[in-house]
Amino acid sequence: MRTFRGGLTIGLAIAALVAAAAITYERYDTRTLKRTVRRGDVLCGVNKGLPGFSIPDDKGNWTGFDVDFCRAVASAIFDDPTKAKFVPLDASERFKELQNRKVDILSRNSTWSMSRETNYDLYFPAVAYYDGQGFMIPRSRNIDSALDLNGSKVCVQANTTTQLNLADYFRANNMKYTEMKFDKLDDVVKAYDSGQCDTLTSDASQLYALRLNLSKPNDHTILADIISKEPLAPVVRLRDDDWMMIVKWTLYAMINAEELGITSKNIDEALKSKKPEVMRLVGTEGAYGEDLGLTKDWAVRIIRHVGNYGEVYDRNVGADSKLKIPRGMNQLWSAGGVQYAPPIR
Amino acid sequence: MTKLRHLVWMLIATGALVLSTSQGFAQNRPDADEPGLIADDSYELDPEWQKQVVYYRTNEAPGTIIVSTAERHLYLVQGNGRALRYGIGVGRDGFQWQGLVTITRKAEWPDWVPPPEMIARQPYLPRFMAGGPGNPLGARAMYLGTTVYRIHGTNRPDTIGTAISSGCFRLVNADVADLYNRVPVGTKVIIRQKPEL
Repeated sequence: MRTFRGGLTIGLAIAALVAAAAITYERYDTRTLKRTVRRGDVLCGVNKGLPGFSIPDDKGNWTGFDVDFCRAVASAIFDDPTKAKFVPLDASERFKELQNRKVDILSRNSTWSMSRETNYDLYFPAVAYYDGQGFMIPRSRNIDSALDLNGSKVCVQANTTTQLNLADYFRANNMKYTEMKFDKLDDVVKAYDSGQCDTLTSDASQLYALRLNLSKPNDHTILADIISKEPLAPVVRLRDDDWMMIVKWTLYAMINAEELGITSKNIDEALKSKKPEVMRLVGTEGAYGEDLGLTKDWAVRIIRHVGNYGEVYDRNVGADSKLKIPRGMNQLWSAGGVQYAPPIR
Repeated sequence: MTKLRHLVWMLIATGALVLSTSQGFAQNRPDADEPGLIADDSYELDPEWQKQVVYYRTNEAPGTIIVSTAERHLYLVQGNGRALRYGIGVGRDGFQWQGLVTITRKAEWPDWVPPPEMIARQPYLPRFMAGGPGNPLGARAMYLGTTVYRIHGTNRPDTIGTAISSGCFRLVNADVADLYNRVPVGTKVIIRQKPEL
């Protein structure tokens, strides 16, 4: 009886181990790059329509910062940005669809936070865009710091982290405010536009988009102060390191290219450069791309087809776009911002 | 006296304008200096070039000026992660320089004496032009170290955001007057260039 029970326990334990191993094997996907190459395209989960980040036109052509990042990954692998295929995903389904392997990568204005990595078995390789909560004010108020907002009537969307951050910020800085909260963002904007509030608070990237729809956009400005951390990053599945490295270094190649002054316009000139840092990035010295499972000219492909970080920023959300968001924190670390890429060497 | 001065510069300006139109267009003047043209004060700058407070992280002390020629921006450091940013016009290719200087002199409605090397390149320019609204130096000038370069105003607000000057940094008149009132002689000016390949 005793031996039978012992045998049963051991048997069960072995069965459990095998099952666990099988589940682990299934649970962690390590073949995204191979599958992507075999299929011949990169499947990108994107926002269904967010101006500046990802939005399709009436012919189904996608544009935006997040869209261009996916094209950069496709360019690095296939030397062809059209190999990026876009799968619009809702906020609620995005992480599940990535886990279900419906997409290879999420490039969908997703905030990187600890619990999103730990709870979903996902990985955020690097920050593509530093967003955060800010304040829009009428230009006529003539203030240039959020610390001057004491006593303001603040328009805010109800039941959001935005509302909580607002309360924290004013309390921390010993300031008073009157909250004007609305359930729908449209109503928040309407209230502000009709002069019911002194300021409107939301994520900065959103404030610039909302400003376009005000009755007199140029009468309003967005303060430089950012009061919360919303680091937007691409997302991949955990433990698929080969794929994660490609996504991470695609972004870093774009940031390094801007820092080195390499653009889609002067990329051929850069191939003749004798500067070691430039040579390593464009692959005329070393073969750093091959260690990623790509080619020596991987970064050249990205820059030629999509451009460097600054070009992508300016075209989609910055000076050359409708939004005209100043570079702010997304400026290079060497030029007043915090965008910083480890070196390629 | 002011009337006489006014008359003199009007005459010079007219002369310069005639000269510049007769020779200038044929030569396709590279720097678009237009002595005599009265600045259009109502010209509205693109938002990118409008004066604004922006996020700016730096180790430099508040009050320092940082010029980023690649961006066409001039930053006046405010501290606390902020800077006042102005849109500027910068030197065309071959007329860009980098380094640390200080403001050695300030002048309102400065006279313009194009340096000899500039005259050699652009012989159609006047040898002297008294300060005033038609003067390419605009409303204010801040002289940089012992160089021939200045931070100055302009009578061509449409050239803000471009690289066409002979190495000076130009702001629209309202902005240069604003900056002038904020910075004393002795202010540190750091000029940053785009990296070379």
